[in-house]
Amino acid sequence: MTSGPPMQPVSVAEPPSQQESRWGRVLEEASGLLRGPQRIPQLMFRLAQDELRMLFKESQLYSYAHATRSSAEMLRAIVEWILKAQRSDGGIAAYYSLLTGYSESYPEVTGYIVPTLYDYAREAGDENARKAAESATRWLLTLQMASGAFPGGLHGVEPQASVFNTGQILQGLVRAHAETGNADVLKGALRAGDWLASAQGSDGSWSGPGAYQGVAHTYYSMVAWALALLARDSGEERYGLAADRNIDWVLPHFQRNGWIDGINLQGHPAYLHFVAYAIQGTLECGILRQRNDAIFAAAESAWVLLRKFETHKHLCGAYGPDFKGGLGFSCLTGNAQMSCVWLRLYEVTRDLRFLNAALKMNEMVEQHVPLRGRGVAGGVAGSHPHWGAYQALRYLSWGCKFFADALLLQQRFLREFEASACA
Amino acid sequence: MRIAILCPSPYSETSCAVSAHVARLGYVPVGALALPSWDRKTLVRKISQWGLRESLRYARAKLAPGTAKKPERVRNPYLAKYIRHRDGIFQNMHEVARAYGFPVVTCRNQNSAAALDQLRQWAPDVVIFTGGNILRGRVLAIPRLGVMNSHLALLPELRGMNTVEWSLLCGVPLGITIHLMDSGIDTGPILLRQEFRDFRDCLSLTDLQNRMIGAGIELIGEAIAGLDKGTISAIPQADREEDRQFFVMHDALKTEAMRRLKQMKTNAVGGASGG
Repeated sequence: MTSGPPMQPVSVAEPPSQQESRWGRVLEEASGLLRGPQRIPQLMFRLAQDELRMLFKESQLYSYAHATRSSAEMLRAIVEWILKAQRSDGGIAAYYSLLTGYSESYPEVTGYIVPTLYDYAREAGDENARKAAESATRWLLTLQMASGAFPGGLHGVEPQASVFNTGQILQGLVRAHAETGNADVLKGALRAGDWLASAQGSDGSWSGPGAYQGVAHTYYSMVAWALALLARDSGEERYGLAADRNIDWVLPHFQRNGWIDGINLQGHPAYLHFVAYAIQGTLECGILRQRNDAIFAAAESAWVLLRKFETHKHLCGAYGPDFKGGLGFSCLTGNAQMSCVWLRLYEVTRDLRFLNAALKMNEMVEQHVPLRGRGVAGGVAGSHPHWGAYQALRYLSWGCKFFADALLLQQRFLREFEASACA
Repeated sequence: MRIAILCPSPYSETSCAVSAHVARLGYVPVGALALPSWDRKTLVRKISQWGLRESLRYARAKLAPGTAKKPERVRNPYLAKYIRHRDGIFQNMHEVARAYGFPVVTCRNQNSAAALDQLRQWAPDVVIFTGGNILRGRVLAIPRLGVMNSHLALLPELRGMNTVEWSLLCGVPLGITIHLMDSGIDTGPILLRQEFRDFRDCLSLTDLQNRMIGAGIELIGEAIAGLDKGTISAIPQADREEDRQFFVMHDALKTEAMRRLKQMKTNAVGGASGG
């Protein structure tokens, strides 16, 4: 799962016991440079580049970041990054660290990157992306536990059933079945859906051993989205009802000021990545289940963040409750997710302000995607600057996934927009 | 009627045009408060808008007029009639001020204590805002009637930035609104509101915007005269709380706005010849 402790070498304000292991992780990561000293020049270059960018950063009321590359070129580079991060068994690495290189394969991201690969294959006619999605799906099915759940964390650690990761992988399985019609994939998806429904509490939330830190989280609306997808594609309404129950639990956490309570990351700030998850899951579930209450709540929160982006020319990497305060770094994954949310809201509402904000956000993220360098070309860093609090010094497969999704949506909507304008 | 002008720079053409226009109508400003002519952020913005070469040419003509041939034309040709003066044009606010006899004071920030003191000293009935800082309540409270702004769109339909382009994209008629500013973004009470139909010969979005700026100056004159004679009053916007704020437009959407402008021109010509 994208928030899991093994992936947080540099986090903030943890309890003392966690603090020790945190420093242990930091030292362990840093020792990666001893094993791979060839990474030092790249690390120094990226850090110096960020220093310069911060020094000359100029934001004007009437300006926005301009990318120099076409979105098609950028999209190709990002998918190339994903393909290079895929291991021979089909699993996709969680990240490329400037200190330690590629990580182990990460089941969760391998799962929900599958729809992105199929979308790109269709958009660009790229057979390699399609093959990568098929190979990823085969690998995932080998990991499914007897209960139907999928394990959390990186591949190779003691497998423990995880609600969130099962939901994210379910997204990939549903799409893989839609693309291939493979009965084994559908069977795996239904088993995962059944496990999720059985693990759900009577209030619609997921807590206990399968939930991160054992508590319920509103960003598990992403799991509800996966269940809603399964209901649509399998025709089994029980999964849709489970999705509805979760959204019923999530919606009261949306505040009038757009803030979403119940993200519940103990020891971590509310990174934009998770705020965006909560909004994205609620919105997509609302669209699939035709629930205006969910769409409206998601739109309200998305609008608050849109105003912040338009006014301040960036979104904070993490926010305090009620969007007060905020950490100054950028969480590029969260930015890409918000772009996806705004583009989908444009599709639903036809309010051009959502499209406008997403176009500008995509250009801003594009500026931080290098086109050269081993492990980083086409990659989306966890934070800008690289030493920011979210996934410092790492290029993330899920960042690439969300940014590719955003660019794919952008291309589609701009084409539709131009076509409708010409009609 | 005591009028003060707030300017983004002593070299702002719009500020010169507004000041000269109201002065010719008989309302000579009591003073103008301008941001400094040299400002790093303004410089960066202008270079990004005009390009380095054009910015340098402009700066040379403005800052050292003796070393460069005085420009025959103004940047916004629709302001020429306002800033033409004897056999030349006003190059800056200091020249307008000398011609009509009012002071120009420079300040680093229009919300600063020094700026507030200066405005209080002038005791204006109306302040005309032609650009500068985002004004705080302390400034807005000084003039007896309020701070006047020309907004290049119909209010309350479209608030915020790039509203000419947004009008085209959203299918809202082009228009200009003269309103008094309050603490919100373009949410203050409306004095005058007029649709703008002079777009048939427009060459570009910039050309359209320039024409609307010119028309806005004409409307500012009407609003000042109307307030003085008591023939107009400020009407609060009905849906002040509704979020109709628009933001800086991405170039891809501007391209589409330009296409729609061309379409409107074609339709207007077709309609005229058909009718």
